[in-house]
Amino acid sequence: MFELILNVLLLLFLAYTLAFNVVEAPIPLKVQKNPYALKPGIWPSVILVLLIILLIVNIVKIILKNKGKDTFCLKGFAGGAVEFFKSKVFLGILLVVLASFILEPLGFIVTCFIILFTYGLLLGDKKYLRLLLISLILTLVLYICFGVLLQVNLPRGTVPFLRDFALFLEQLIS
Amino acid sequence: MNLFQMLVNGLSVVFQPTMLLMVFFAVILGTLFGSLPGVSATMAVALGLPFTYSMGPVQSIVFLVAIYCSSITGGSISAILFKIPGVPSSAATTFDGYPMAQQGKAGKALGVALGCSAIGGLFSALAMFLLSPQLTQAALSFGPSEMFAVTFLGLSILTGLDTTNILRTIISGLLGLLLACIGQDPMYGVQRMTFGSNQLLSGIEMIPVLIGIFAVTEVLTQTGEKSHLKGSDGIGGGKVNTEMPTFKEWLSIKWVVLRSSILGTVVGILPGAGATIASFMSYSVETKLSKHPEKFGTGIIDGIAASETANNAATGGAMVPLLSLGIPGGNAAAVMMSALVLKGVQMGPLLLINQPDYLSATFVSMIISNIVMVIVAILIAKVFAQILAVPYSFLGPIIIMLALIGSYSTSSNIMDVKIMAIAGIAGLLFRAMKFNSAALILGLVLGGICEGNFSRAFTISRGSLWTMFNRPIAGIVMLVCIGALLYPVVSPIIKKKFKPAGNVKK
Repeated sequence: MFELILNVLLLLFLAYTLAFNVVEAPIPLKVQKNPYALKPGIWPSVILVLLIILLIVNIVKIILKNKGKDTFCLKGFAGGAVEFFKSKVFLGILLVVLASFILEPLGFIVTCFIILFTYGLLLGDKKYLRLLLISLILTLVLYICFGVLLQVNLPRGTVPFLRDFALFLEQLIS
Repeated sequence: MNLFQMLVNGLSVVFQPTMLLMVFFAVILGTLFGSLPGVSATMAVALGLPFTYSMGPVQSIVFLVAIYCSSITGGSISAILFKIPGVPSSAATTFDGYPMAQQGKAGKALGVALGCSAIGGLFSALAMFLLSPQLTQAALSFGPSEMFAVTFLGLSILTGLDTTNILRTIISGLLGLLLACIGQDPMYGVQRMTFGSNQLLSGIEMIPVLIGIFAVTEVLTQTGEKSHLKGSDGIGGGKVNTEMPTFKEWLSIKWVVLRSSILGTVVGILPGAGATIASFMSYSVETKLSKHPEKFGTGIIDGIAASETANNAATGGAMVPLLSLGIPGGNAAAVMMSALVLKGVQMGPLLLINQPDYLSATFVSMIISNIVMVIVAILIAKVFAQILAVPYSFLGPIIIMLALIGSYSTSSNIMDVKIMAIAGIAGLLFRAMKFNSAALILGLVLGGICEGNFSRAFTISRGSLWTMFNRPIAGIVMLVCIGALLYPVVSPIIKKKFKPAGNVKK
C-alpha cells in the first residue's frame, strides 16, 4: 500500500508540475519567432508526459498484483506508518535533516560532534563515555584534516560565541 | 603530441612528491573503502571528493582514479573472506572465492584476486591510453546529432540495468532527466521548474545528489538493520597470509585473464555498463568456455580470475568515454566528471586535444595504483578482521559527516547540504518503490548534455527529427540505441514464444 501511495503522490506532483511549473519565465521573443528553435518547455514536458503515462501503468500493475491481499488496505498502511515513525530509520532521517539545518547556524564543529554522538547512540552504542570521547576526537580529526590541512571551507556558524570558538580553534591549530 | 611525450608529461605530473603521496593515500583509502561492505566504488569516489577541493583539476582526476581502481580491488577482500562483496562488482568473486576460503585456501584466493585485478587494471589502462586519442580524433568530426546519439547510447542502457523491473527502471531514468531540467534551460537560459526558489536557478548540483543517494541512503538503510557486520562473521579472526599463484597456476589461467581483460575493457567503455556487469558477464563466459564448467562455484581460481580481472579492466574502459567524449561510462566516472566540471573544466573531445595531461596523468595514476594496491591490499587483508570489528556506530556517523563535508564544500552553499539530505531520503523512498537509483543518476548526469545537443541538432536541421538518423555515425549509433533499449523488452517475449514450441516437440 505504501508503494501505491508513493506512486500516486509522485503522479500528482508531476501532473501539477506539468500544469503550472514547466516554464516559469517569459520565453525570449527571438525564440518565440524562430520556428526551428526547440522551445524551452518542450523537452521537460515530453519527459513529464512520458513519466505520467508510465506511472499510471505502474500504479495499475501494483493494484492488479496486490488485489485481494489482506495487507493491501489503508488499515495495513496506517499500522506500517506507525511502525515506521517509531523506527530507527525515521530517527536517522530526522538526524540527517537536523544536521543539514544546524550546520550553518551552529557551525561544523558543534554539528559534527552532535551528529557523531547522537547517531552513534542511535546505532546502539551503549558505552556512552567512550562514544563521547571518540566523537570529540573524531570531530577534531575531521576538522583538522579538512578544515586545516586540506583548507576546505567549513562553516564556522552564525551564533556569535560558536563562531568565536571556531576562530579561536583555527588560530590555535594553525 | 606523440604517445611518448604524453607519457613523459603524465610522469612529470604524478611523480611530484606531494602528488605521489596523495596517490598512495588514495590507494589506501580506496582499498579500505572498497573492502568495507556498504561502501560501493562510487561511494568511495564520492567520499574522496572533499580531499580534491584544494587540488588542481588534473591532480583531482589522478587522485579519484586511484581511489576508483583500488576500491574495486578492495571489494574482493571481504568477498573472499566473508562472502560479502565489498563492492557490487565483487559479487561474482564470492562464487569461488568464499568456497576456497572455507577450504583453507583464503590466502591463495586473495593472491589470485589481487594479481588478476592488477593485470586487468594495467591492461585497461593501456587500452585507455591508446584508444582515447583515436576516439577523440573521431569525435572532433561529431556534430550535435552525433553527440546526442552517443549520449542517448548511455541512456539506452537503462533498460538493461535491471531487466526484471524495466518499467520502474525507465521511470527512474526519466526522473533523473527531469531533475536535470531544473534551473535554466541549456540553450536560452529560461527559468524552469524552480518553484520560485532562487537557489534552484543554477540547477541541481550532481555531487550532493550522488552523495545523498549512494552514501546517506546506505547509512540510513544500515540504521534499520538489526545486526551490523562484525569481525566474527565468516572466517574473521583467523590469520590470513596472501599467497600469490605459482607460475604453473598463472599458465593455467592465462587465457581466462586475457579474455576477461578484453571483455572488461569493452564493457567498461560502453556508457552505463560498468564493473558489475563486466564481472558477471566474464564469469558467465568463462563458465561456458571452460572444459570443466561443473567446477565453477566450488572454489577454483579460474572463477576468481574471471571476475576480478574483468571488474578491474572495466575501470580503464569507463575512463575512455569520459576523457574522450565527456560522457561518463558509469556512476563512479560520473562523480569524477562532476569534480572536473566543478573546477570549471569543459568536458568534451577538445579536452584531450588542448590538455593531453588529463589522459597521460590518469594513465600513470592507474599504472601506479594498480601496482601499489596489491601491496596495500595484502596488508589490509592481514588486518581485515580487526578493521571489520570497527563498530558501525562509529563508521556510519563518519560516513554521514563525510557526506556533509563533501556536499557543503561543492560551492559552500547550505542548499547543497539540504539537497544531499533530500537525496538520501529520496534514495530510501526509491528502494521502497523498487525504483533504480543508478538509472536516476544516469539520467541526471546525461540529461543536460542530451537536451543541449538535441536542441542544437534540432535547430541546425531546421526542426527535423530525421537529422538524428540521416548522418552515418549518428544513424548507426541511434539504431544501436534502439536495439539496446528494446532487447531486454523483446528477448523474454521471444524466449517465451520458443519455449512452448520446444515442449511440443518433446
